[in-house]
Amino acid sequence: MVLEILVAVTVVSLIGTVLAALLTICEHFIADYGPCQISINDESDVTVKGGKDLLSMLTAERIFIPSACGGRGTCGLCKLKVLEGAGPLLPTEEPYLEKEERESNVRLACQVKVRGDLKIEIPQELLAVREYTCKCVEITDLTHDIKQFRLELIEPTTIDYIPGQYVQLLTPVYEKSDEEIYRAYSISSNPAEKSVIELIIRLVPGGICTTYCFEYLKVGDEVKINGPYGDFRLLDSDAPIVFIAGGSGMAPIKCMLHHMKNTDNKRKTIYYFGANEPRELLLTDLMREFEKQLANFRFVPVVCEPEDSNVLGCEIGLVTHAVQRDLKNATECEAYLCGSPGMIDATIKVLEELGVSEDKIFYDKF
Amino acid sequence: MTQVGIVMKESPEDRKLEEVLRSSRLAAGGFMGHDNRSVSEVIDADATELSRLGFTKEQVAERMRQITKVAISGLGTWVQVGDGMEGKVDEAKGWLICPWPHKGKLAKRITVVKVIETGESIRWSDLNTHLISEHGFFEGKGSDFRIEPRKLIRTIF
Ligand SMILES: Cc1cc2nc3c(=O)[nH]c(=O)nc-3n(C[C@H](O)[C@H](O)[C@H](O)COP(=O)(O)OP(=O)(O)OC[C@H]3O[C@@H](n4cnc5c(N)ncnc54)[C@H](O)[C@@H]3O)c2cc1C
Ligand code: FES
Ligand SMILES: [Zn+2]
Repeated sequence: MVLEILVAVTVVSLIGTVLAALLTICEHFIADYGPCQISINDESDVTVKGGKDLLSMLTAERIFIPSACGGRGTCGLCKLKVLEGAGPLLPTEEPYLEKEERESNVRLACQVKVRGDLKIEIPQELLAVREYTCKCVEITDLTHDIKQFRLELIEPTTIDYIPGQYVQLLTPVYEKSDEEIYRAYSISSNPAEKSVIELIIRLVPGGICTTYCFEYLKVGDEVKINGPYGDFRLLDSDAPIVFIAGGSGMAPIKCMLHHMKNTDNKRKTIYYFGANEPRELLLTDLMREFEKQLANFRFVPVVCEPEDSNVLGCEIGLVTHAVQRDLKNATECEAYLCGSPGMIDATIKVLEELGVSEDKIFYDKF
Repeated sequence: MTQVGIVMKESPEDRKLEEVLRSSRLAAGGFMGHDNRSVSEVIDADATELSRLGFTKEQVAERMRQITKVAISGLGTWVQVGDGMEGKVDEAKGWLICPWPHKGKLAKRITVVKVIETGESIRWSDLNTHLISEHGFFEGKGSDFRIEPRKLIRTIF
């Protein structure tokens, strides 16, 4: 009996395998969808050879849509509107789309196959995204596990971005990764230097991209990035600013501070930077410089483990506790946060307790 | 029926999974280390070890989740996570994806637990907890994030 079941199951699975293989072969060699036209925002058209998914076709046309899963349909980041030609919604897309999104024809670009003409809508800011070939010209140790990477743009030679935005860094195939992958890093440089991008990167244990950056990337190497992306940016208002960050979360705040200095911004600003120990504080000298150069800026380093902290003029405890103790006129403030998701969650809670309304708290929502 | 499953030839899905787990596409160095056993052999061997130790994968994963939850409150500093145990989390922005084909994403978070008296420590990522609870997968020998059931149980219970 068991033998019969075994034989039957094996036969069925063999037939399934053969059919699936046949289908793939047919799709590859026989199905010819010919040239397909993709109309973008009713403004421009690109013509592609049909058959592949929309995400990779757009990437081939140098139109970059955010993606964190390499097109596997598991991150839900590659959303865009496909107004015509996408065919019915696939079961693989459904879990990632809200009701309103489905109603307005939002689809996952990696799941939509281009088999005919398409009409799509891409947000303007994504159309401004470019790929940049750069040269790594400097690597600086900022702490035991954080480095700053200075990348000089080779092609194109300049970049425009809004302080707070991020780029995606391409990790090439190397010993520990057999596929190219992208990871997001906030731009930390002075936006006045348009031919340079600086990134502040913390080593993540067992991480594909950070291991590459820390152990394999050398000064002089070529690096590819694309961007800029993201909505994290300073609002144009007069409200007092409170920056709260930890670790590599320093990156976008540093960029914003450069920008504030370049534009002679006089807004009242306080910056709480949290670290476990004094050795994890970074760029303290630069922050002290900003204190001198900006009209109304105070830097407050906060460390949990107090040894030596008096020397550095630090607050003691968790960064959230320091904010709770120290932040005056919270209800008037705009708060800009950057750090680990755990730190962001805890900080939002504290800020809300202090009376900062939700719409005045800004951070990258990932 | 399980017997039939074991003897049966690998399905295309199994082969694809095996290939993903051995590749470095989702995690540096992959999930199988230098282990030459098949994924199902790894899972079965750890399931046997776990039941010999008197635990289920659900119990183990639940305890791991509890510890991570307490450790998160330390915002990266050591906090007490149980009797004689300290833990801390290390978190990066972004998401990890399970190599099994299903929807969902996991935080890029590592929990480290230290037994104060013995100094023994163990670490896991949120993905490890998910792999154990949903797929009974402790990873192949030699994988950076392989978790030995015996050591895990000795440390966290
Ligand atoms: C908008 C945005 C801006 C960002 N800005 C910055 C920034 O300015 N600076 C910065 O440093 N970072 C930044 N990040 C985070 C960055 O994008 C990466 O997520 C981070 O650097 C880790 O990438 P990685 O490839 O090294 O690690 P990954 O390979 O993606 O993940 C490594 C983690 O995966 C888990 N893991 C690995 N292998 C296994 C296994 N076998 N089993 C179980 N679990 C495993 C572990 O938790 C490990 O720590 C930003 C992220 C976003 C979304
Ligand atoms: S790229 Fe991740 S879901 Fe499409
Ligand atoms: Zn899973």
